[in-house]
Amino acid sequence: MRECKIVSSRFHLKGSHTFRVAKENGVYKSLEKVKGYIPLEIIEIIKESGLRGKGGGGAFAGEKWALMPQNSTKPSFLVVNCDESEPGTFKDRQIISQDPHLLIEGILITCYAIKARHAYIYIRGEYKPFQDILQGAIDEAYQEGLLDTCDITIHRGAGAYICGEKSALLESLEGKRGHPRLKPKQKEPEWFFGNPTLVNNVETIATVPFILENGADAYKAFGTQKSAGTLLFAMSGHINRAGVYEAEFGTPMMEYINYFGGGIKNGKKLKAIIPGGASTPILTAEEVSKATLDYETMRSLGSALGTGGMIVMDEDTCMVEVLKNLLEFYHEESCGQCTPCREGTGWTDKLVGKILNKEGTKKDIDKLLEVATTMNGKTICVFAPAVSGVITAFLTKFRDEFEVKL
Amino acid sequence: MSEMIDIVVDNKTYKAKEGSLLIDLLIKEKIKVPYFCYHEALGADGNCRMCMVEIEGQKRPQISCDTFIKANMKVHSTGNNIEKVRRDILELELINHPVDCPVCDQAGECSLQDFYMDYGLHNSEVLIQEKIKHTKHIDLGANVILDQERCVLCARCTRFTEKITKTHELGIIGRGDEARVSTMPHRKLHNPYAMNVVDLCPVGALTSKDFRFSQRVWFLQTVNSICHGCAKGCNIFIDHNKIKYKDDLIYRFRPRRNDEVNGFFMCDEGRLSYKALQDNRQEVTLLNAKAITEEEALLEAKRLIEEYENNISVVIDANLYTQEIEAILEFSKKIGASAYAPLEVYYDENFKDDMLKSANRGANSQTIELLTIDTSTPKESGLVINFNHPDTFNSETVINFLTHKKALNSLIFPMAVFTENTGTLRNEEGIVQHCEQAIFKNTPIPTLIETVKKIQL
Repeated sequence: MRECKIVSSRFHLKGSHTFRVAKENGVYKSLEKVKGYIPLEIIEIIKESGLRGKGGGGAFAGEKWALMPQNSTKPSFLVVNCDESEPGTFKDRQIISQDPHLLIEGILITCYAIKARHAYIYIRGEYKPFQDILQGAIDEAYQEGLLDTCDITIHRGAGAYICGEKSALLESLEGKRGHPRLKPKQKEPEWFFGNPTLVNNVETIATVPFILENGADAYKAFGTQKSAGTLLFAMSGHINRAGVYEAEFGTPMMEYINYFGGGIKNGKKLKAIIPGGASTPILTAEEVSKATLDYETMRSLGSALGTGGMIVMDEDTCMVEVLKNLLEFYHEESCGQCTPCREGTGWTDKLVGKILNKEGTKKDIDKLLEVATTMNGKTICVFAPAVSGVITAFLTKFRDEFEVKL
Repeated sequence: MSEMIDIVVDNKTYKAKEGSLLIDLLIKEKIKVPYFCYHEALGADGNCRMCMVEIEGQKRPQISCDTFIKANMKVHSTGNNIEKVRRDILELELINHPVDCPVCDQAGECSLQDFYMDYGLHNSEVLIQEKIKHTKHIDLGANVILDQERCVLCARCTRFTEKITKTHELGIIGRGDEARVSTMPHRKLHNPYAMNVVDLCPVGALTSKDFRFSQRVWFLQTVNSICHGCAKGCNIFIDHNKIKYKDDLIYRFRPRRNDEVNGFFMCDEGRLSYKALQDNRQEVTLLNAKAITEEEALLEAKRLIEEYENNISVVIDANLYTQEIEAILEFSKKIGASAYAPLEVYYDENFKDDMLKSANRGANSQTIELLTIDTSTPKESGLVINFNHPDTFNSETVINFLTHKKALNSLIFPMAVFTENTGTLRNEEGIVQHCEQAIFKNTPIPTLIETVKKIQL
């Protein structure tokens, strides 16, 4: 297991969230180097590094940056997505509470590259304590004169999971209801009040200083060919040491779990893992043994790497209960815009509840799969398709557990 | 972008503008496509997911309201695959719907009902107890009643108040299957075009307080007409019905699309103006408030006209049809009278807005001006023959042609209102528009043209 601390290098330091400690330990060092580049060169470096969006989608960050106009008559904006609400995912809050200055450094570089003079950090409403730490760091940065040419504003969300979806986030930031927007037919930036805008996850932005300081090759030295670099993977559930640990892409999943997590709790056997936040299809123990932590392998297993927040379940876990728990969340959080999602999340939740209460019939299982199919690929955003994938994976991989309950 | 190109839908080639919306073509060519949220006045919102079609080369079905036409596009709007998709989405639409069609006012003109008959026909699989319950009767204000359970969350009404009236009274609150349309707490729907949301609503969620429960829509007959509320000349449908043993009555006005005049909408005042047409009508001939026969009245009219020869003024209402105005002019020429049509009374600055309402409330005042009829107050004369002009005029004697009762001591002839007659109007933009006759009363009230012809001179 190779040590790799790109984002988490200062997490262990006492007072790492303060300007003094962070500065002594190298924060804002890359800014000097950045001045030697023109914005387009920085975008090239990011492209070259193979940095992928760390919020779950895994899109190449450089390509997204390149969509931002360099000579726009309208102001450009950076929006940092800190609406971390995916069950099983709690990595961004480590960054904003343990090393907020790293994020500010990343924001400054990114804004320079996309010629933005104002960055918004859209933060999950429940993250108030972490928001206070981040705001403290921003205030310090203002005092140090770091934000003379670029403003940073924190916007607190009102508690909707869907606002982590970038277009819903922008709607919410504009003061409207957080509904995802219809997707454009061609590649273009996002739009905030009609102005070109880049939306990136906290961790993506926090990775930028390392790349600028050490070069694209230093970042590419970690990870696999297609999934370059590292990610703040996280573990929760039946694991001895739950938490956030940075590792490089391509790390075998079991190795990660045993090395950082200290194995399954109480010496039990592993049953299944939801690999990347609740919205990714579940993997059985057998699949986990073959899995490595990178986008391509996860996709080939029919799941997704997502945010890298693993939910570990031991042999005693009732899969019907797990699915009910997840569906309650989706039922609550569907924004209600598209019919298949609005009605589908509720119905599937009720059907699984029926099965859990031993009131179900075989017909209900078939109906569940049928509704899941209807929810897949017919909505504005990927919320419903994700739920569909979750339901289908549970029912195909653990169907016997559902049938026992009938 | 605006080049005309070929596109194939269900193996038939159509011409369409490149980059235009596929759903517009489907609607225009009358190719069956179900949809709730799309509306030509409001644009695409993409939330109902009903208008799915298959497009060759795309692995998933696409919503036609967010598909822009490209050259060589091949579209399939029928077939087992796409019909299954529509059926499945419709099933979800219905699981929390109360299915209270027997007591729903929208029944008969409900998209949800129609699509169920076209694609659905599912058996109900959700128990009534399991359905999400919402409020069934919310008085939103402005004559609009909301039933949240029937709503399909197409957001047409909210988009109307957002994009068209820009008054923002309506919004969607709650998430997932708890989402529902609402106003802000203690606020009401309050704008002069509010009742248009009833027409926009594809289901029975928004109903008109004025119309609901008065008629089943399949009993109504519809004719095309023009609103007489102002000189804008909004195109309307008149929905009327003659119930057995009763008289022919209008139950509602609805806006009729005309992109040159009113677009899709009409104002609430115009919409409700039908009521005044049937209340307090002048139905018999009167002489000094005493009923007389028509023959007696005609003789009296003849006597008066002969008595005041060369000392007669004729006054014309600006809401009369062009044909009626012409008949009056001919008549006044015949009796040697001077014709007037004072227009000042029709001018109401307070009525005006920047949408559809015009300050000029004489529906046919353009024709008055075109025919260069004297629009000043008539000079003092021996006899005034007033054809329903709202003002009263000083003279020794008056003959009144009235649609509605007025306390006047004179010779009075009843006359038909515009819905009981046919004719044309010229709106303030000079567009000539035709009104069909909607109402055929059990005892017809003669039109002024008929009466004028009967006066034997």
